[in-house]
Amino acid sequence: MEHPTILCPSASVGEETALELLSVFSHTPQKSIVLKCNVMLAITNVIICTSCLNTHTKTAEDWLDLCGLSQQPIRATACDCLREMETCSPGLLSQKLEALYLLKQQETTVLHQSYCLLYTLGLKNAIRILTNQKDVTDLEFKSILGGNEGFAWKSNQLELTSLPINMLVQVPRLTQGLDCKELKSIMSLLLEESYLLMPISQSALLRELVEVVAMVPGLSRTLFKSQLLRLFGTADVSLMHATLFMKDTFTDSLFTTVDENFLLKRLVGMAQHPLLRITEKLFYMECILHFPENRPISSSGEESLPVLVTPRRAAFLHPTVFNDSATMLCRLNLLCLVHLEANEGEADKGIGFLFDHIMALLKIVDNDGSREVVVTSLRALFIFLMHFSGMEELSEKLIDKLCDMYSRHSRLAPNLIDPVWSVKLLRGLQKRIMEMPPLQLTIHNLSWHLKVLKRVAKEGQITQRNTIYLLLNVLINSNLCERGNWQVGNAVLAVYRNLLDHPSIDQVFIELADLLQYISIQYDDTDIKDHARIYYTLLTNLSWEKLTGVLAKRLDGGRAKERSHSAIMAESEEIAKSVEATGEVRNWLEVYQGQFQTPGFGSEVTLRYNLTHAKETDPLFDKVFTICLHFELKDSNYAKVTDIHVPCVFRDRKSPEVKVKLKPFQPYPTSLCVSAMFTMQDGRSWHSRLPDVSVSFPEIFLPLPLPPNSSRECREQVFERIWEATASGNSDKSAISLFCFKPEDKSLADLIKTHFQGYLITDQQSERSWKVLLFLPPKCHILLKITQAEDAAQVSIATDNRELLPFPVSCRVSSALLKEKSTKALNN
Amino acid sequence: MSIRALWVVSQEKGEPGKLGIFPETVLHATSCRMHTHGQDRPKPYVEVRDDYARQHRSPAVELRLDGPGGRTLWPLLTVTQGALILACLPLVEAPPEPRPPLPSLASVSQGLALLSGLQDFLCGPGGKPEPDVLASRLAALPSVLLQVCPLGRPLDTPPPAGSVPAAVAPSPGGAQKQPAWKAGVHRGRAVVSVALTEKVRSMQYGKSSVLPNVTVTLTLPPNGSPLQDILVHPCVTSLDASILTACSVDENDCSAFSGPYKFPFSPPLELFRLCSYTSQVPVPPILGSYQLKAEENHLKANVVLKLHESVKNSFEYCEAHIPFFNQNLMGSVEVKVSSGQLEVSKEKSLLVWVLGQKFPKSREAALEGTVHFSGTVAGPTDPLCTGLTAYIKLYFRVADLTLSGCCVDQHSVQVYSSAKPRIVTTRELVSSEYYIWNSTGDAPVSSGAVTASH
Repeated sequence: MEHPTILCPSASVGEETALELLSVFSHTPQKSIVLKCNVMLAITNVIICTSCLNTHTKTAEDWLDLCGLSQQPIRATACDCLREMETCSPGLLSQKLEALYLLKQQETTVLHQSYCLLYTLGLKNAIRILTNQKDVTDLEFKSILGGNEGFAWKSNQLELTSLPINMLVQVPRLTQGLDCKELKSIMSLLLEESYLLMPISQSALLRELVEVVAMVPGLSRTLFKSQLLRLFGTADVSLMHATLFMKDTFTDSLFTTVDENFLLKRLVGMAQHPLLRITEKLFYMECILHFPENRPISSSGEESLPVLVTPRRAAFLHPTVFNDSATMLCRLNLLCLVHLEANEGEADKGIGFLFDHIMALLKIVDNDGSREVVVTSLRALFIFLMHFSGMEELSEKLIDKLCDMYSRHSRLAPNLIDPVWSVKLLRGLQKRIMEMPPLQLTIHNLSWHLKVLKRVAKEGQITQRNTIYLLLNVLINSNLCERGNWQVGNAVLAVYRNLLDHPSIDQVFIELADLLQYISIQYDDTDIKDHARIYYTLLTNLSWEKLTGVLAKRLDGGRAKERSHSAIMAESEEIAKSVEATGEVRNWLEVYQGQFQTPGFGSEVTLRYNLTHAKETDPLFDKVFTICLHFELKDSNYAKVTDIHVPCVFRDRKSPEVKVKLKPFQPYPTSLCVSAMFTMQDGRSWHSRLPDVSVSFPEIFLPLPLPPNSSRECREQVFERIWEATASGNSDKSAISLFCFKPEDKSLADLIKTHFQGYLITDQQSERSWKVLLFLPPKCHILLKITQAEDAAQVSIATDNRELLPFPVSCRVSSALLKEKSTKALNN
Repeated sequence: MSIRALWVVSQEKGEPGKLGIFPETVLHATSCRMHTHGQDRPKPYVEVRDDYARQHRSPAVELRLDGPGGRTLWPLLTVTQGALILACLPLVEAPPEPRPPLPSLASVSQGLALLSGLQDFLCGPGGKPEPDVLASRLAALPSVLLQVCPLGRPLDTPPPAGSVPAAVAPSPGGAQKQPAWKAGVHRGRAVVSVALTEKVRSMQYGKSSVLPNVTVTLTLPPNGSPLQDILVHPCVTSLDASILTACSVDENDCSAFSGPYKFPFSPPLELFRLCSYTSQVPVPPILGSYQLKAEENHLKANVVLKLHESVKNSFEYCEAHIPFFNQNLMGSVEVKVSSGQLEVSKEKSLLVWVLGQKFPKSREAALEGTVHFSGTVAGPTDPLCTGLTAYIKLYFRVADLTLSGCCVDQHSVQVYSSAKPRIVTTRELVSSEYYIWNSTGDAPVSSGAVTASH
């Protein structure tokens, strides 16, 4: 029932399944009513979901027969099924309307609701189809209502995506001057009896009827007049919503100004009615903001306040501290709009009130409100500022308040360093942190302060001298350096990283250098020391332009992929991944393939090299700085390789690792020309050609790109599905091949372990069989099923890119000469 | 107008329960996982949850899916009841971008109505079903959904839990159509029972056919203020315009209409809420003053409650709860009351003043004394009630009384039916959110109006 397309992947399978189920249905005993109903729903489901409604005509006829004569629940289900079919294939019943009308009329039990809905839907779709036709004659028009011919399977079908009329730019209309007498009486009867339906069904019926009237010019909108008062008073949300739909569609041709005023008043009243549920009240507030007024509507769909909602009217919607957070924010937003529109005197008072409210909220935060209270209150402040002063014009009073709060609760830091806040607040926060007595600086709140300072350091308009003094002060006058906490050290360096980027760095150059040097010597953590030294070197050797260039490259380059560079990179967000709970069986191939919809997914191979000095060079080149490596491609199988920047290479130090990111269009072996530009200690720049880098076929092998925590089942499932797809031979590019060889001195297991360790999908040594998947970007696979026969090893190979086979994977297996990705020395 | 998926999630286990996905409206069925942020380790700030960019004030939220592309499901409607989260995803019959406004989507209100019904069905009137009761209701849910929402298309709401199916005879047939909301003909003694309950909310702070037809008429005393914001059950067949005109939104509502309010309807078989109204009442039934002062290491409390003369001095129950937040637990309590008894709660953080059935003749009761907080164990906290910001909350029920004066005369209930029903009418006044704030402390900002609602 729930996933018919998984069980029935194609229309033909769907049809077969439906037939099977139909025979189950006919063999089910009469008294198993519930089972029968379920089978009917399942059949309908399968038919609709596998899109074989058009070919599988008999079912609808069967259902229609069942509508006429059978037990109540089955008749009801038959109606439901037909209604679904008509919805998904509009016009299906358009030639059966007379029969449906008679069924509807005859039915006096509660089931008339189902018949009524089915008939109305059929009627609406039939008329909708007719609107596509030019010059409809009276006869054609009449024939819809009296139609009893057969199912309109293929002809006349509207597109499946037929939208409700409020989503259309132009409402489709029938030609003028048609004789609507009969239709009118049908409509009147439907409306008259509408109150007999359940509220939700009633709302559906009303919507269909509104669409019919909108499409037929001969029908008067005032038909609905008799229902309006009943609808205005309703406590049911779907009925009220249908009333608004009516208003949206007919505006002043049905609703007088008095009606409009009244309806709006009701809406405002209901948005705060004590007996309605919170979600309903929130919905009514949305409805107020999208109220269809009797005047040219801006079709932008933006929120706007109806003119008739005045401050006085909205007085009861003032937010209070007792509201739940959604209600409070929703009310606040609405009231902000109200006071924006109000005349001056009134508005000032109202805004003052809202401001008091915000201050009251902040006071609660200050009193140690929960996380939700904090977030809600700051969001409220955000909404308020967005409407009135803009985030830039944060008043002194507010800044003081926020800073006060921060000095008491430094855990608010992440909320306050959000980019929505203005520089003024950041400046205030910096000042507060400076003014804090040293005793208040514990390890715990220091980490919050460092977060704030890191953010402050990003602001070119804020001078950073104080930040540096504070850090110096803290580091020298505390035992931080001795404790050598890596996290704290890293947080301090994160501030520096931003400071290095700061435009006014010249003014604080010496202090900054002192500090970095201090850390690089005193801090009791090697990693931190190293990083401090790099920064120191960068700071003292590069011009500001170059420095920012290097830092920027670092940021873009390996964004949040490698944790080892965390001191240089912006703090990665992956730590804050949320907890998730799941318990579902999924189609892993779909998951796997779905990943490729993300642009750039799995398209890169990263090759790692070490950049070192060549064996013998002039000692003049022992220290080189700001190296820029440039790569030129020799063929068109790869995307252009971006330049790589390396801060420095010293002969006597550890050689830096360089990651070359290759993006293959075709995963073939290649080689790259490399050149380098670098700066010497004396400031002179050099250009030099490096040896070519050759990229061999195995070097572009990647393991199956699935999330790291994917289960073995998942990997196996993907392997099997890809294998099946390749073996089925559907694609002209796929190929299968079998290869046998005799492993020599080493055992097969060892060979596989040595060469395919990272690519193993399954490793069933006991059964002497292995599965290996080599992924080649952008989206090629080589699959190996290796089994140990008595005296030889069998390797079945499948690939979805036949052109890869000339690069002999098989040979590599047999000779077991897959080279390990080697670390190459690039000569300087 | 369809619902694409419906979930019932229990927060306690952290495991989502999924109940139904209706594929023919999905076309490309999407399986999705729900993220539940674990209660045990709340993160102080999580960007996706706590940032400012998204709107967090709509009844619809968006659900992010795992996997590539970070796709989202929207509009997800949710209702939370205790540890249960009910959610459904209405079908969006519109181009997905730009995101259409909620009110333009027909399925949204249907989804809201369905969730409300589901909430009543699962949780019943008490709101907290026993685990085994809940489990059995959950087990029954698929078959209920089959009836009220076949193929994801809502026709009705699930029946409220605990509603006893009345003895029903199949409809005799005939020309008259049976309403869909009334499955058959009532069997047994016909009774019209009209119960009128007014809930009073107060914030005080200060230095001051075949179908039987029934018509129920609400009447007000001669100078009563009109009933406002009237919402009626869908079974009410017709309404007079004047009934609906009064609305709390208008400050100076000068509509002269003050009844009688006639509601002709054809009753469904189960108990239902015929109509609800609000009413502005100038004076609270119990006027209170609460003064709390801090003295050295204890608090000095002084409470006076005055019963208004118009209110009958005969309660079913009446209690005043005096909680203390952000303090250590209570030590010695030296408090005297002029009427009723005083109890200290087991938790040592709340005084309960049981006023019993009657106020004294003077219609005034007082409480006076000091409370020491000697212990070292911290009591309950509340971010609102800090310093001297404190309140008393009243709980009471008075039978046979309404504050607005609204009543239903037994003889005014007209029944057009072959059966002669017994007619019962009752009325009562119940406290809802009845707070009296300490006048010597700061008051939390609030719009302070007294409303009564039925």
